[in-house]
Amino acid sequence: MSSIALSKNGGRVLRGFFALVVVFLYAPILILVIFSFNDSDFPSFPLSGFTLRWYRQFIENGDLRAALWTSAIIAAATSVGAVILGVLSSIALARRFFRGKPVVSALLLSPLVIPYLVFGIALLLLFHQIGISRGIPTVVIGHIVITLPYTILVLVPRLEQIEEALEEAAYDLGANRWVTFRLITFPLILPAVVSALLIAFTTSFDEYAVASFLVGTRSTFPIYLYSALRFPTQLPQVIAVAVVVLLVSLTVVVAAELGRRFVESRVGV
Amino acid sequence: MAWLGVFFVAPIVIVALYSFNVYTLFGGPHGFTLDAWHTVANSGIYRHLFWKSIEMSLIVSISIVVLAYPLAYYLALSGTRRKYVLLLLLIAPFLTSYLLRVLAWKVILGDQGVINSFLVWTHLRAQEHPISQLLYSRFAVMLVLAYIWLPFVALPIFVSLENLDQRLLEAAGDLYASRWRAFIAVTLPLSLPGVIAAFFFVFVPTIGEFVTPSLVGGTGGYMYGNQIVDKFGAGFPDWETGSVLALFLIIVVAILTALFSRFLQPQRVAAE
Repeated sequence: MSSIALSKNGGRVLRGFFALVVVFLYAPILILVIFSFNDSDFPSFPLSGFTLRWYRQFIENGDLRAALWTSAIIAAATSVGAVILGVLSSIALARRFFRGKPVVSALLLSPLVIPYLVFGIALLLLFHQIGISRGIPTVVIGHIVITLPYTILVLVPRLEQIEEALEEAAYDLGANRWVTFRLITFPLILPAVVSALLIAFTTSFDEYAVASFLVGTRSTFPIYLYSALRFPTQLPQVIAVAVVVLLVSLTVVVAAELGRRFVESRVGV
Repeated sequence: MAWLGVFFVAPIVIVALYSFNVYTLFGGPHGFTLDAWHTVANSGIYRHLFWKSIEMSLIVSISIVVLAYPLAYYLALSGTRRKYVLLLLLIAPFLTSYLLRVLAWKVILGDQGVINSFLVWTHLRAQEHPISQLLYSRFAVMLVLAYIWLPFVALPIFVSLENLDQRLLEAAGDLYASRWRAFIAVTLPLSLPGVIAAFFFVFVPTIGEFVTPSLVGGTGGYMYGNQIVDKFGAGFPDWETGSVLALFLIIVVAILTALFSRFLQPQRVAAE
C-alpha cells in the first residue's frame, strides 16, 4: 500500500525499525526469564543447566512474601480510594461548570509532573509536623494523590463520550442523582473504572520513591527489591520473583486493555 | 452534592498542604532564614549537579522522541490493520514494574553480567578486561532511562498523528508535493504539539530521577535527585539544605510546566 504518507519502501524500513525496537524492549525481559531458570549463583554466560531452585527460594523467603503482601494491601487500598475520588472529580470536571475549573483541573493533574521524590519528602515533612507516625496508611495517602490524575485521565474522556441526554432522560423519569449514577452513568463508565483501578493498582504496587519515605520500618515489594539489589547473593531469587511479577502484570495489562476495547465496542456508546 | 465538594477538595488540600509545608518546615524550627538558600546558591557542587541532570535528561528526552516519532508514524499512517495491537505491544512494557526493568539492565550490563560474560564466553574479550563502563556510569543511567521511557513517548505522538486530518495530506499530494515536502509542510507541524508534550513528559520526571542513577549510575551517574535523597537519608541528614534543593526543583518544574502548558491538554496523553 503506497500513499502520500509513506512509500512502499519507507513502510518496509519503518516496519523493520518497529520490530527492532520491540526486540530492544522485550529482550531484557526475556533475558530475565532465561536466567531465572539458570543453575548458577551469577547471572552470566555460559548457561549452566535448568533449575527451579530460585523459584523455590523466593517462595520460601518470608521477608519477600511479607513485602509482596504489604504492597498488595497498599495497592488495593490505593486503587479503591483513587478510583472513588477519581470518579467524583471526573464527574465534576466533565459535567459541571464552576468557577475556577481550569485551576482545579490543573491542580488535580499536577501530581503528574511533580517529581515523586520531592512529593515523598514533602509528605514526610507534613506527617512529621502534624505528628502522624509513618506506616501503611501514610503510604496509601501518598499513593492516592499520585494515582488520582491517572484515574481522571482515563475517566474524563469516557464520561465525555457518553451522551448527557441519557442522564437527563433518567432525571425526567424521576430518578434522583444517585439512582441515575447507579443505573445509567456507572454501568456506562464501568470499563474505564476497571482500567483506572488497574492503573492505580500497578502504579502503587511498583512505586518506590514516595513509599520509601513514608512507610517507616516495614518493607514494600519495591523497597525490598531495591535493598536486595545491593546484595549479589539474593540476585537469582530476585530475578525469579521479577519474572513472575513482570509476566503477571504484562498479562493483566494486556487482558484489561483488550477487554476494555471489547466491552466498549459492544456497548457502542 | 455538598459531599462531592468535600471529597473533591480533600485531595487538593493534601496537594496544597505539602507544598505549603515544605515552606513551614524550612523556616519553621529556627525562624525564617535564608541561610540554607545562600549555602546552596553559593555552592558549585549543587549547581554542577543540577546542570548535569538537566543535560542528561535533555539528551535522553530528545533521543527517545526522535526514536519514537517513526514508530508512532508507522502505527498511525502506514494503514496497518493491527494498529492497536502493535501499539499495545509497544506500550505494555511501560505499564510493568519500573524497578524490575532497571534490575534487568543491571543483570545485563554488569562486569560479570550478560553482555560481558557473553563476550568472554565467545572469546571476543578477555576475562580480565570486561567492558566496565557499561554499568555504573552516565551511559548506563541514560540507556536505562531511555529504555524505560521510550514506550511512553510514542503515545502522545501517536495520538497527534492519529488525529491528523488525512485529507490535508491528500490535498498536498494533489498539489504535487513530494512525500518529503508533504511531511515537512503538513505532517510535522501538525504533530508538533504531540511531540512537545511527549518531550515534556519525559524531560520533567527524569530531572528529578534518583532510583535509576542510584542503582546503575555509580558515581558517574549521580544526579540532582540523589543529592536530595542523601540530604534526607540516614548518613548526615540536612533537611534544610535538602528542602531548598527540593523546593528549587519544584520551582523549575513549575516554570517548565507553565512554559509548556499550552501543549499539555490531557487528551494528548490519555490512552484512547
